[in-house]
Amino acid sequence: MLSVKSILNIEDLSLEDIDLVLSNTDSFLEVLGRDLKKVPTLRGKTIINLFFEPSTRTKTSFELAAKRMNADLVNFSAPASSLKKGESIIDTVKTIIAMKVDLIIVRHPDSGAAKFIFIKTNIPVINAGDGKNEHPTQALLDLHTIKKRFKDFKKVKVAIVGDILNSRVARSNIKLFKKVGFDVSVVSPPMLLPENMDYFNVDIKNNIDDVIGEVDVIYMLRMQFERHNRELYPSVREYNEYLSLNMDRVSKMKKESIVMHPGPVNRGIEISEEVMNLSGKGSDRLLINTQVTYGVAVRMALLYLLLGQ
Amino acid sequence: MKNNLSEYKNILIKSGKVIDPVRKKEFDSDIFIKEGRISKIDKKIEFENLDIADKNDIFVIDASGFIISPGFVDMHVHLRDPGNEDEEDIKSGISAALKGGITAIACMPNTEPPIDSEHLVKYIIESAAKLDYKIFPIAAMTKKIKGKEITEFGILKRAGAIALSDDGRCVANSRIMYEIMEYARQFKLLLILHEEDYSFSEYGLVHEGYFSSKLGLDGISYLSEDLVVARDIILAKYTGARIHITHVSSKNSVKMIKKAKENDVNITCDVTPHHLFFNDSCLTDFNTNFKVKPPIRSEEDRKAIIAGIKEGVIDAVASDHAPHLETEKNTTFKEASFGAIGLETLFSACYTKLYKQEGIKLPDVISLFTSSPSNILDIESGSLKIGNKADITIFNPDKINKIRKQDFISKSANSPFIGESLFGEVVYTINNGKLVFKND
Repeated sequence: MLSVKSILNIEDLSLEDIDLVLSNTDSFLEVLGRDLKKVPTLRGKTIINLFFEPSTRTKTSFELAAKRMNADLVNFSAPASSLKKGESIIDTVKTIIAMKVDLIIVRHPDSGAAKFIFIKTNIPVINAGDGKNEHPTQALLDLHTIKKRFKDFKKVKVAIVGDILNSRVARSNIKLFKKVGFDVSVVSPPMLLPENMDYFNVDIKNNIDDVIGEVDVIYMLRMQFERHNRELYPSVREYNEYLSLNMDRVSKMKKESIVMHPGPVNRGIEISEEVMNLSGKGSDRLLINTQVTYGVAVRMALLYLLLGQ
Repeated sequence: MKNNLSEYKNILIKSGKVIDPVRKKEFDSDIFIKEGRISKIDKKIEFENLDIADKNDIFVIDASGFIISPGFVDMHVHLRDPGNEDEEDIKSGISAALKGGITAIACMPNTEPPIDSEHLVKYIIESAAKLDYKIFPIAAMTKKIKGKEITEFGILKRAGAIALSDDGRCVANSRIMYEIMEYARQFKLLLILHEEDYSFSEYGLVHEGYFSSKLGLDGISYLSEDLVVARDIILAKYTGARIHITHVSSKNSVKMIKKAKENDVNITCDVTPHHLFFNDSCLTDFNTNFKVKPPIRSEEDRKAIIAGIKEGVIDAVASDHAPHLETEKNTTFKEASFGAIGLETLFSACYTKLYKQEGIKLPDVISLFTSSPSNILDIESGSLKIGNKADITIFNPDKINKIRKQDFISKSANSPFIGESLFGEVVYTINNGKLVFKND
């Protein structure tokens, strides 16, 4: 049993919870390897995919996870409404309660929205990304990806590169990676870093070249242009100079090291066209698609742990 | 016994402890209010010896175990009237104030329309007078609070404006601020300043620091306040204007104001109870009642504010009572409006934090919301002067109340103190010589 009723953030999860999620993820990966990729575990359960923000990947991933466990999943897409126009979040919440669903998957552009919905409904919630706050299922699937790759899982060195300030993936991943004992550093220029990094307690670098030869995992963040109120960084050219992953930098990486990205990649910004197009043996270290596969399994595990027991 | 206690012309308060914030003294005494005026403060005043023909027209309050103070003064209140009477109006604001022991308030001009004209200043004063209450309107410094063109300082003062402020907005243009200070000096008008550099706060929701980083909430750096405090100190030194910085929130501001006072700048300042009470760790539940401007800052800032009070750098505490409807707060942190109510908790929050927890002497604590704001505003309130109309608040120092949403009588209930246990409960409020509030 998990110690929590909802998956809102990483801080609330105990190490036992994390182990439980990851071990169940392995079982569901086995299911996904079968010809008939479906189990009856959640028959009769209703899950709502409540998305206030456009999403294809995460939404589809949750939808697949729910359907492969025989749950009834409905999509509810609502534009994030401001107070004066459209439906307010509290009315959406009341509608959801009236629909008598068993679990809510929430994505919202405002930090804290998932917790808000859990407090107001008291229905289990999975946070599928709230503003700049957290994206805990992404962090769990990333952890699983790393765990499957490295035998000596405890000693992994990770560098997270890019827009830390506006990234919920960065927040969840740093918290989770630190929690399981990884050596974590971030690579980011001052304008893309939060003013105060005391909470995260990580090494801070400004140039990807400072870490590229030393880390086991290079985690490239997506530039969150949609969350910038104005141009924060001077240019793509300058980004490529200090922060992007190109062939030259890949060649300097440790032999067994891997490249991760939460997707979708801005080709030519975070990762160069050439690196993205690597094929054959050269592409072994690119785990971006593996992350997607594990994403479905992790979400199946979470649905099972929250609803199936 | 009269049905309505406010009909009593004479009140005898027996056996209480009196706080005199002006002379910073506390002593056991009785007080007699005759025909609405404080007529006697004496160790023992015997009912039988009172020179009143109809003894039935004396209401006797047994104040043993209670503390008697001048009525409280709140120099920073948003009454939302005119324009947003669904959030608060003059009448409901007065009721909330009286429950909080407050007998005089200064109200801010960011109403709809803003109080930037003679007739609106008079509207406030006359509305309050009809309810037998003292509201001192603060008029806008610039037309429509847009920070562009200055208002009619002379006419506004003559109409009764007690001070000028663009509270809620900050005059961004330094030249205009300079002209405001120059012109205010001609009329000896006090300027009450909300200090905020918008280039640092435009998208911000909370104090920029440890918790904004952790929670992914956009931050408002203390630089937003510090830069403008520095500017206005420089301008006040140059112009000789009389300025008051309201709701100081950052440690650097406290430092700069201390220095400015040493350099004979004509400056005073206040803080809110919520900045005294909380630090930004309160944000972890995304409770929108903690969404205020300036933001609730770090523990370091909070401690600097407490130290500023102890050192006398901070002159007053004011509630910044800012009512908002449930719909404006019952939403995500980003969508929610800025502001918290405070009239009903001003006293108990200060009493709990400053007296009970910080051990500051009671007359010093009480002076922060009686004699001190009265001095700053230059009004006749906040003292127990013989012959004055009686404004007196009597409180039970030992009563502990758990603050509950449903207990507020303000039209709004957006209080950050909900759930807190606070010491000190107002038992009686005597306003303008009449007993108008009794806590049963």
